[in-house]
Amino acid sequence: MIRLKDHFRVQTGVGPPVTVGDITVTPQFEAVIVRLASSGFIWNRPTAILVEQNGHITRFPIRDITRILLLWLLSFSLLLSIMSFIKFSRRKVIRP
Amino acid sequence: MIDTRTRVLSLAEKTSEQFSSLFDRIFAAAHSESVYSKPVISGNYTVITASEVTSGGGFGSGGGIGPELPLSIIKKRPDEAASHAEQVNSGGGGGIGGGGGSAGRPVAVIIIGPEGVTVKPVLDVTKIALAGIATGIVMLTTLRKMRKMSKG
Repeated sequence: MIRLKDHFRVQTGVGPPVTVGDITVTPQFEAVIVRLASSGFIWNRPTAILVEQNGHITRFPIRDITRILLLWLLSFSLLLSIMSFIKFSRRKVIRP
Repeated sequence: MIDTRTRVLSLAEKTSEQFSSLFDRIFAAAHSESVYSKPVISGNYTVITASEVTSGGGFGSGGGIGPELPLSIIKKRPDEAASHAEQVNSGGGGGIGGGGGSAGRPVAVIIIGPEGVTVKPVLDVTKIALAGIATGIVMLTTLRKMRKMSKG
């Protein structure tokens, strides 16, 4: 039986901390791994950094602005296409 | 015939093993060093680049074995073909192919300075511009169609 777990995996991890003065930065990442019998794909991206200063830990998320904007554009064009399709199909119904 | 089959099979096995080890190396990219750069120090500032890394690949192999006598001859003169069968060596062949690629794109820049830590996002203007142009074309085409529909 083929299990999804064997072929698809999401791996999170942390990198080596970088210390500058009293600030320690620990990077975090997430990797999406797809492995099939004769092909494979890996998508590795930064997720956040943990900043430790004076005993306080702050999490700074890393946002991919380019991807967010691309998704907005894609959803906008999709919405427009769906709207025009609905309008077109309604007009077709009205005509006898 | 058996020798050829064994050779083809062993070749396919070897290829599969080689590609497997290649994949292991590709999947080894799932670590922080491929995403975060080494810190660069300039004066009071330390800069680390965070990038998105995508890589993938695939391979395929195939092989076949058969008699060296052409099929047309075997069909036309089966007796002759049978008598030659012992003398004729069998033939075989195989092929392999594969491909892969990797791409990286900076996502953000982490700056550690006297003011503290700041994360500055990196905007890929070219990508956004291209996507914007494509969306604009779709929008204009849709609006034109809608206008035509409302007129007709």
